[in-house]
Amino acid sequence: MSSAEVLGPAELPSSRPPAEAPRRPRLSPLARYLLVRLALIVPMMWFLVTLVFVLMRVIGDPIQAAQGGRLSPEQIAERQAEAGLDRPLFTQYLEYLGGILRGDFGTTLTDNREVSDILVQNGAATLELSVYALVVAFAVGVPLGRLAARHRDRFPDVVLRLGAILVYAAPVFFVGLLLKLAFTPFGWPSSGRASTSTELALSRGEHETHIMLLDAILWGSPDMVLDVLQHAVLPAVALGLLTGGVFLRLVRVNLLQTLRADFVTAARARGVSERRVVRQHAFRTALVPVVTVMGMQIAMLLAGAILTETTFEWKGIGYELSEYLIARDFLAVQGIVTLIALIVGIASFLIDVIVALVDPRVRF
Amino acid sequence: MSLRRGAAIALTTAVSAATLVACGSGDETTGLIVGTTDTVVSIDPAGSYDNGSMTVQTQVYQYLLNFPAGSTELTPDAAESCDFTEPTVYTCTLKPGLTFANGNDLTASDVAFSFQRIVDINDPNGPASLLGNMASVEAVDDATVKFTLNSPNDQTFPQILVTSAGPIVDEDTYPADEVLPDDEAVEADGFSGPYTITSYDKNELAEFTANPDYDGTYGTPSEDVVTLKYYAKSENLKLDIENEAIDVAYRSLTPTDIADLETKDGITVHQGVGGELRYMVFNLDTMPGGTPAQKLAVRQAVASSVDRDELSTGVYQDTYTPAWSMVPEGQTGATEAFKELYGAEPDLDAATKYLTDAGVTTPVEVQLQYNPDHYGSSSDQEYNAVKRQLEDTGLFTVNLQSTEWTTYSEEFPADAYPVFQLGWFPDFPDADNYLSPFLSPYSEDKAGNFTNSHYNEDGTPYADPEMTTLLESERTDGDPTTRAATLGQIQTRLAEQVPYLPLLTGTSVAIAVDGVKGVEDTLDASFKFRFTSLSQ
Repeated sequence: MSSAEVLGPAELPSSRPPAEAPRRPRLSPLARYLLVRLALIVPMMWFLVTLVFVLMRVIGDPIQAAQGGRLSPEQIAERQAEAGLDRPLFTQYLEYLGGILRGDFGTTLTDNREVSDILVQNGAATLELSVYALVVAFAVGVPLGRLAARHRDRFPDVVLRLGAILVYAAPVFFVGLLLKLAFTPFGWPSSGRASTSTELALSRGEHETHIMLLDAILWGSPDMVLDVLQHAVLPAVALGLLTGGVFLRLVRVNLLQTLRADFVTAARARGVSERRVVRQHAFRTALVPVVTVMGMQIAMLLAGAILTETTFEWKGIGYELSEYLIARDFLAVQGIVTLIALIVGIASFLIDVIVALVDPRVRF
Repeated sequence: MSLRRGAAIALTTAVSAATLVACGSGDETTGLIVGTTDTVVSIDPAGSYDNGSMTVQTQVYQYLLNFPAGSTELTPDAAESCDFTEPTVYTCTLKPGLTFANGNDLTASDVAFSFQRIVDINDPNGPASLLGNMASVEAVDDATVKFTLNSPNDQTFPQILVTSAGPIVDEDTYPADEVLPDDEAVEADGFSGPYTITSYDKNELAEFTANPDYDGTYGTPSEDVVTLKYYAKSENLKLDIENEAIDVAYRSLTPTDIADLETKDGITVHQGVGGELRYMVFNLDTMPGGTPAQKLAVRQAVASSVDRDELSTGVYQDTYTPAWSMVPEGQTGATEAFKELYGAEPDLDAATKYLTDAGVTTPVEVQLQYNPDHYGSSSDQEYNAVKRQLEDTGLFTVNLQSTEWTTYSEEFPADAYPVFQLGWFPDFPDADNYLSPFLSPYSEDKAGNFTNSHYNEDGTPYADPEMTTLLESERTDGDPTTRAATLGQIQTRLAEQVPYLPLLTGTSVAIAVDGVKGVEDTLDASFKFRFTSLSQ
């Protein structure tokens, strides 16, 4: 028994750590929090993927659904055997999981495309649109929410609150249609991700990322960058306003609550100007719930993207999903829905990370 | 945010926006841009049988025979000549020195391979059903290919060679037992048509570049580069042609959009012969009427009550015209059998007499089904107008229902609908293609009466022996005069029995910005939209 154990750690001089019993390295609360969140992703993903698989099988046999009217029962049976749909459900499920792990989501029934190709090409388009929409949502929601809070119950506040309700209550395709009608007569592009010439040129690029803005930057043509941005404006505004309205109301409410907090009162008592109180003391604190809600808004953005993409010919994953649903191509639908589930899962994790970094209370 | 700062941001945004508009797009060349809402199922002919795929195939593949622009006269394409060498043998001789764009030789072996793989693959989206009369195909030597047919002297077989079943593919790059994915087809470059594909993003953008080695019906393309842009919504197609962001809009704009574009400056609406048919089907087993005679009277009364002119003008803004036979006007052998029997205008007295004579109690309750998503968005207006027309006579009460296509296509052949809407887009421009698929005896493989909706009184599939004899006669008759007479007899008999009621026939429409030439040349009854005809 060592002297250290007899005396106890509290009685040891702080400059002499015990040599015999080295301290186990302990994870910081932040790292522990992140690891737990990361570990939770796996069962969540598994659950989502399993749910999609089960739902798609509950709907019925995908080959019968997509091609039932055009094939004899024998041909249907033959194709089911080729696709492995005549095997036990559990075997199909294991193969489905294995395929996802290998990045193989199968081939569409209606147009013979690799689902993984659709996910890469069209998924990139949706990602790009979602980022633009988030930028718009922040640019609109945060400063206007702040403005509304500062002018609480006065004219600007009333107008902004009404406006916020309008933009998130209005169907995104309706807002899109209005934008198109308003801007198209002035020559503003209302469909597609870029002009035909730019799209063609970028498709020949050596490093096609399928993210049009990135491709245009890599191509090195300012004209193309401007062209891509120009095409993004209307769809980004249509989709961004939807979330922007939510952000506006959220920022307003949180800022008003924060402005009633003790530390703000203390700042005012110290003679800090109202503008500085809002900007430096209350505003950052009020943003924390916005970041949290952002995670939920990503799922909403993806849902809104389906309508936005169809309205503006933005051929992303939402557009493809609607097309394959109409064609009852459930293999394609299964792959796309799985990807959307993965995106939402990963986005939720990233939001958790950001919230933990911004707000120490979360990780303790 | 201070007012000054806010104003600065607003100003910067406005200037940036103005700059963006002023800058416009990149300056890469695109040639002529054609827009469409059609989609491609597959570039590979074995995996597609639809308008969107056919538009691409028309540009990039060669056929044995083909229709030159503005004509439905078959002329040699890859073939030097084709003819019946025996009643059941159709033989084609190829032009010498044909090659694919990838450098491979195009021989009779490629031709035989192309047709055989369509039958072997038998893809549900493919055109294998068109080759039902082909017993076998073989390459006799490098330049000669021999088709052996099940039925002798089939006058429609040469036309089959120009359909979706006819493109010639490269046997060195296309698999024999499966459909080639589009990206691999583009990479393989096994094209020998007037254009090859130099850039391809499925159902988004496709760039076609003139094939210098092409030697066929269409001649040398006027435009070196044509870009095909795909739209999800017709409203976006309309906006882009209106703003001249594209040069040509081909399929499909709504009648209202077309009427609106006709009033715009700088744009021309071109209309050509159309072959699309819109018609009603009576299920002879489940339709109203207690006896076959009463059912016939109901059909004849309906035929006497519909106002095609109102549908044509009121609903479709004259983008469709009245159809007086299942064979549309403009097709060789077409008659106006329905106009002759039931008149050009609705005739209430005649309709009443048909029902009274047969002892039918009025009003007759009609269960009428239509489809809102497969035959154009105006089907809703069209069938509401039909309902109103029938009910206005006081002889009918109509229960109008609609069903989405995925369900509709399964339910109508399963006797679910007593009276229902269908449309027809022909495989090839011949009167037989408007008659045999409807009037042949029912067969399980759908090679006969595809509607599967005709039943005799005892519930057995409908087969009119006299009609079957007439159809067989016209299909095998090489004399155009006697064949036309037989076709006339068939149409009259069909109008007397009214198993189908033709309503409207469509015109082909393409909208082009001023300065684009040749659009009207390719809007012919062959339904092939040839980029080779276009120039600017």
